[in-house]
Amino acid sequence: MAKQLETICITTGPVEVGDYVTLNIGPIHPAMHGTLRVITKTDGETIVSAKPEIGYLHRGVEKLGENLTYSQFLPITDRLNYCSAICNNVAYEMAVEKLLGLQVPPKAQLIRMIMMELARIADHQVCVGILGVDLGALTPFFYLIIQREEIYEIFEWHHGARLTNSMGAIGGVEADLPERFHEKWPKLRDTIRKANDETDKLLTHNRIWMDRTIGVNAFCADDALNWGFTGPMLRACGVKRDLRKEEPYLMYDEVNFEIPTGKHGDVFDRYMVRMLEMEESVKIIDQAYALYKELPEDAPLMKKVPKIIKPPEGQIYHAIESPNGELGFFIKSDGSDKPYRIKIRPPCYMVYQAFEDLVKGEMISDLIACLSSLNVIAGELDR
Amino acid sequence: MADWQIDLIKVVFIWVWALLIAVVMTWVERRASAMMQDRLGPNRAGPFGLLQPLADGIKLFTKEDIIPERARKILFILGPPLFALPAFSAYAVVPFGDKIVLGGKEIILQVSDVNIGFLYVLALGAIGVYGMVIGGWASNSKYSILGGLRATAQLISYEVPMGLALLTIVLLYGTFSLREIVLQQQGTFLGFLPNWGFFKQPLGFIIFMVAAYAEANRVPFDLPECESELVTGYHTEYGSMRLGLYLFGEYVNMGTLAAITVSLFFGGWGLPYVDMSRFLGPVSYGIASFFVFFLKQAFFLFLFVWVRWTVPRFRYDQLMGLGWKALIPLGLINLFITALLVQLTT
Amino acid sequence: MVRRPVVKKEYTLGERVYLVEIGKGLGLTWKHFVYNVKASFRKGPHTVPTCWQYPEDRREIAPIFRGAHMLQLNEKGQELCVGCGMCARACPAKCITVKRGKPAEGEEDKYAGKTMCASFEIDMLRCIFCGNCEKACPKNAIVLGQDYELAEYDPNLCIYDKKRLLANFHRAKAEGRLKPPRKPVPVDAPAPKKKTPSKATMTKKKGESGDSEKA
Repeated sequence: MAKQLETICITTGPVEVGDYVTLNIGPIHPAMHGTLRVITKTDGETIVSAKPEIGYLHRGVEKLGENLTYSQFLPITDRLNYCSAICNNVAYEMAVEKLLGLQVPPKAQLIRMIMMELARIADHQVCVGILGVDLGALTPFFYLIIQREEIYEIFEWHHGARLTNSMGAIGGVEADLPERFHEKWPKLRDTIRKANDETDKLLTHNRIWMDRTIGVNAFCADDALNWGFTGPMLRACGVKRDLRKEEPYLMYDEVNFEIPTGKHGDVFDRYMVRMLEMEESVKIIDQAYALYKELPEDAPLMKKVPKIIKPPEGQIYHAIESPNGELGFFIKSDGSDKPYRIKIRPPCYMVYQAFEDLVKGEMISDLIACLSSLNVIAGELDR
Repeated sequence: MADWQIDLIKVVFIWVWALLIAVVMTWVERRASAMMQDRLGPNRAGPFGLLQPLADGIKLFTKEDIIPERARKILFILGPPLFALPAFSAYAVVPFGDKIVLGGKEIILQVSDVNIGFLYVLALGAIGVYGMVIGGWASNSKYSILGGLRATAQLISYEVPMGLALLTIVLLYGTFSLREIVLQQQGTFLGFLPNWGFFKQPLGFIIFMVAAYAEANRVPFDLPECESELVTGYHTEYGSMRLGLYLFGEYVNMGTLAAITVSLFFGGWGLPYVDMSRFLGPVSYGIASFFVFFLKQAFFLFLFVWVRWTVPRFRYDQLMGLGWKALIPLGLINLFITALLVQLTT
Repeated sequence: MVRRPVVKKEYTLGERVYLVEIGKGLGLTWKHFVYNVKASFRKGPHTVPTCWQYPEDRREIAPIFRGAHMLQLNEKGQELCVGCGMCARACPAKCITVKRGKPAEGEEDKYAGKTMCASFEIDMLRCIFCGNCEKACPKNAIVLGQDYELAEYDPNLCIYDKKRLLANFHRAKAEGRLKPPRKPVPVDAPAPKKKTPSKATMTKKKGESGDSEKA
């Protein structure tokens, strides 16, 4: 299991006595990502309690899964974490493949890896950009979002959609890397890095930014583990856990990359972890692309799967490291062409549970900063 | 022309000028921010999108005027003009040029050379807060109240360092009149530096600029209206032209502050090393001095925009900390040193 | 009460005084400003490299883009759709309704197959543009084209009928924006075949179509 860094934790925070002003933040509020709602009690600017209320974007995704066939459910997974739809697609496809007992051809694995890392970069870019916007720095957002557009263009030329990707199919991917990728990637990797550098220049060492983020809703590593944090949130707390390294899937065990970690789990660490992860993702894509080039051009992209997928009876849980953390799909099959039950383990849900503990005793501005740095996506949270 | 006619013309001129600056600034804000962010900004209305402020104005005027049900009606209506008017009024003591000779009459390019121009500016700056506080208080919304409260605390705290920075200038030049101060800044000092307040009072200038940004409610000090936390703070509940007045007042305020910065620290209408009056006719000198002043003012207006799109925003307690723990001690030290130097040199 | 780690703020002198880093940031935004001001004086609608002036200046859309649907014709101008309803069955949003029909007397050469679709409706308000219909179509008759401006004033106009879908095809053909034929995906060794009684699948299918009709 993961190694933990030692940080000294103390118990602080306000004690709830007497009357406070109830401030209702959301579901319609410029800083609420999607339709989240937090009912806060404030003592001046200090938050005494914050009760998150979820369900404003509940669409019954899991129930939909029971009524759709295996391949019909794939486009629905796009609508979970819409910032990195490809990761959801691949996670679902891999879960079904595991249920079917399929091993995807290596070329398809590499294409999935490349696309997933691109999606991870796009997701982190949005998260870091929005964090900047919520703290008043609008400019880095645009520098990052321009690069995201370029990434989306690769997606578009690969499978025909920019946001709701529905990439690939159960059994592999349906298209080889597009010509656009081969043309674009050598340039794109540099521009992504340049945009990150510029964001870094504008924010990281700026004292206003540091004051706003360092030590703001810091979180202890053991608390984070107890709440079930995963992904950048957990790594920011100092726990070195990444499913790509712990339980390698696809061909992640054949590439070298670091797991960036923070120390205190504050907003600054989360921001830094995400910034560094983008860098690592670029490295992973480079290595995966080199591996891809070694394969013959007509290497298989798909495993033969029947047109109507009917997995054998059984149940399976498969999780991957999505940009927000562990994204798992539990599928129970009764042998028919529709899953008996689908349960999604979204990383946001576990993180958002701890929201009150994260923001208690901090100020209203910190609540906004905290929410942005959690990267809570309502589509994934409410499902 | 009688004196009162000249004064009237000056008043109308400066009024229109202040308005024009504010209108153009809304366009500059949007275009410049776009250019800094690799975008284009509004470019459809008129050449380069210059008519965009007009379109915005028409939109704001024609929108439905809504007063929230449980708002304090009179105060709610009073808020926006109370915010915008002091900003305009402060222009009255700004010397926007040296003098111009028209029809054999020497006209000073300043609405009125009040001998306590300084205090007048400070006083009006303090009145502007009422607009925000009253607007925030009367809207009957928690976000607005928070915005209004933040505005009160912020402006009160930053009046002090601003006053301290300005006091050093008073000590240095021995006068409260803005015109006198500008006149004393012509020529050079130590042989090569322009005789500007900036070179004599660099620390004072920095303190003044920081306080000015706080007074103008601009990023990084736009806490009363930070859109990500308090929606838009004190003017959350406002719509139509009342909102327009608030937004407009902000730009007029910026114009005033930029003009005061120029007259106090950057030699007003004067050019360094060059005495324009020597080789220009009386009329052209007046116009030239006005344009020199305007160019300097434009630079500071642009700086407002430039800084806004570069830095993030403070948190409320950090803002207070900066004001009380850093700027006021610095201002006091600066004041002390200046007083000592003035005492020793005279 | 909450547990929090103790965080020590360690700032360098440059960070401590605010102005140094803000100055660097100002330099960066200034560089962008100058570059973009210069770029905006270029000729043509596409001046600043990252900004597309939408109606006049459009991005290049990928030929495989998943936009509005069309019903394809073959080279002889015959309708490819045979009205089998595979697309309707594959659709996760259940937005396609197909009715199968026989071509009228003397009109057989207008259709590529022996049967045709008597009516074909796609409810674009429900469609999620996943492309499953395209994947499911055995005749490559329905494809998702490049059109993405699908707003209408009347919701009824968002239900595309056969005429409209064919018109989409004709327009795309005239503008040379037809979707390239799908390349066959290289497939690995076949999966182990499982024999399922065909009767069971037939009944399942019936039940399923019943579901979709209800929906």
